[in-house]
Amino acid sequence: MSTNTDATTGIPAQRGGDDKPRRPGKEQRFADGGGVLNVFSHGFLALWALLIIGPLIWIVLGSFKNNTEIGSSAWSWPSHWSFDAFGRAWQKGIGDFFVNTLIVLAGSLTLTMLLGAMAAYVLARYEFRGNRVIYYFFVAGAMFPVYLALVPLFFMVKNLGDVIPWLGLNQYVGLILVYTAYSLPFTVFFLYSFFRSLPSAVHEAAMIDGCSHSRAFFQVMVPMAKSGLISVFIFNVLGQWNQYLLPLTLMQQQSGSDPDHSMLAQGLMNLAQQSGYASDFPGLFAGMTIAMLPVLVVYLSFQRQVQAGLTSATLK
Amino acid sequence: MASVTYDKATRVYPGADKPSVDALDLEIGDGEFLVLVGPSGCGKSTSLRMLAGLEDVNQGAIRIGDRDVTHLPPKDRDIAMVFQNYALYPHMTVAENMGFALKIAGVNKADLRTKVEEAAKILDLTEFLDRKPKALSGGQRQRVAMGRAIVRQPQVFLMDEPLSNLDAKLRVSTRTQIASLQRRLGITTVYVTHDQTEAMTMGDRVAVLDKGLLQQVDAPRAMYDRPANLFVAGFIGSPAMNLVEVPLVDGGVKFGGSVINIDRADLAKAGDAKTVVVGIRPEHFQIVPAGGLEGVAVTVNVVEELGADGFVYGTTQVSGQDKDIVVRVHSREIPQRGETIHVVPVGTETHVFATTGERLSR
Repeated sequence: MSTNTDATTGIPAQRGGDDKPRRPGKEQRFADGGGVLNVFSHGFLALWALLIIGPLIWIVLGSFKNNTEIGSSAWSWPSHWSFDAFGRAWQKGIGDFFVNTLIVLAGSLTLTMLLGAMAAYVLARYEFRGNRVIYYFFVAGAMFPVYLALVPLFFMVKNLGDVIPWLGLNQYVGLILVYTAYSLPFTVFFLYSFFRSLPSAVHEAAMIDGCSHSRAFFQVMVPMAKSGLISVFIFNVLGQWNQYLLPLTLMQQQSGSDPDHSMLAQGLMNLAQQSGYASDFPGLFAGMTIAMLPVLVVYLSFQRQVQAGLTSATLK
Repeated sequence: MASVTYDKATRVYPGADKPSVDALDLEIGDGEFLVLVGPSGCGKSTSLRMLAGLEDVNQGAIRIGDRDVTHLPPKDRDIAMVFQNYALYPHMTVAENMGFALKIAGVNKADLRTKVEEAAKILDLTEFLDRKPKALSGGQRQRVAMGRAIVRQPQVFLMDEPLSNLDAKLRVSTRTQIASLQRRLGITTVYVTHDQTEAMTMGDRVAVLDKGLLQQVDAPRAMYDRPANLFVAGFIGSPAMNLVEVPLVDGGVKFGGSVINIDRADLAKAGDAKTVVVGIRPEHFQIVPAGGLEGVAVTVNVVEELGADGFVYGTTQVSGQDKDIVVRVHSREIPQRGETIHVVPVGTETHVFATTGERLSR
């Protein structure tokens, strides 16, 4: 389960299903490229889709099987369809992990989108001293591998927790802030170019109509940037939902009495490790299915806007 | 309603060594329709945007009525602007677009609706009030942009080339609509265009700018009849005035076979220059029979027939050099390409300029 898993499954499916040529120019270009290339690239995409969808189906099917069936053949059909495994997974903590993840993502996504959009907007629209420096600072953040920051980050959050307890390790707010910081560079980078591509006259019209800067932003520019905001929102949902390393480092129980605030990915991993020899594979698979569903739902429901946002920002 | 005053208003863009608008002095009367015209990059849009508050004023001042608005933000200036690409809010309906300024100003819903509907009626937009701009034609969008401006009943209308995105036919009809709407509402209007037909037909007065400098402000007729300098002479009028550099002779200048007399006092302004520039509009040539002494021989290169009349684009020899010349001819007596015609300037309709640009003739 990785970020691009779900993103890529959508694309070949979309290509194949899209019979109506909405952009004749583009269709034309593909046609000019020759049938050989077309067959090759579509074949490649189909293979790729298979490689990604295969394991997904295997996991979903696995959550309906029992241990023996999983052990025997990957291609076998479950003998009977029961949701027992889902119930067991939920009881074993998946439900709690799910809620934890929702809490953290609700906070971090709100913050990321709000701060990211505002920062990108100001950087893209207002000339001031240090504008470029701040922008490059954000962009540089995207180039910095998070692995390098793990240890300092751990101590930073730990020390912060000594001063302000609700910002420390194994705290929702602490992780929310880290997720936000982690997602801001890409968000700002993406939205910066998006806001740049919007016509400046509309902003000027709003100023003449009597808008304050904040009203012009929230009532005029944000609605205009909707497709871009949705795209980057989805990216952030995918990225943060599947985040494993950061919660593993920052969301450890600090003592026996400390509540378990594990995120989904981390919780699933714990489940797999703790079970040892008495492994409950159907339960684990059911947990994975539960973890995977929201992302799929979010992506599929916003698929069109994601593509609209991507093309309008990049093809201009 | 109010007058508008530019008082030595100057705009220098950061990093530029020359001002884009250089000490603009301009007085626009209450209810007047002033057209700012000039080639691209002349500073006309910048001047308008300075009045709108979208550009800083680096020196000088701008006043609306008695209020000094030089450093006020756009929203405190009580102006409305129509943009070249209309700048409609794409996510709002036509009614919301038109009422947005009033909504911000806190006008109550019933009043807002009435005002928007009134404006929509004037502009023939009533049936489109619930549509989004996306679902409108270019002309309709233009009218929505106008509507957004008139709903507010501002002190000043600013229009930045509002017709340049329309097709030719619509442009002509909208031109008259805007002019008559402005007369009816009586709101002071500053209108920027590069199209001199718009400049000549719409404005009470026309201000010509070039390289950030105001060249001349006058009523369209007066500007056409008496351009203040070479630039205005060449810019106003279509096709452009023929401007030919000719040598000075005793008592005037020699143009072909004819001598154009110039007042001695005027000539003195040229100093000891040996040549001056004579300007003659295409319609101020008379075709004379060949063989006469006065006529200038013009070889016809291209003929444009516009229906009502025709324009001959030809070449003539002036002081041994080939010069291009445009002559308006009667629509029923159009010469053939390659033919040679003989023309003389109509005596009173010539303009003489010093080579430095200054007008010499009265």
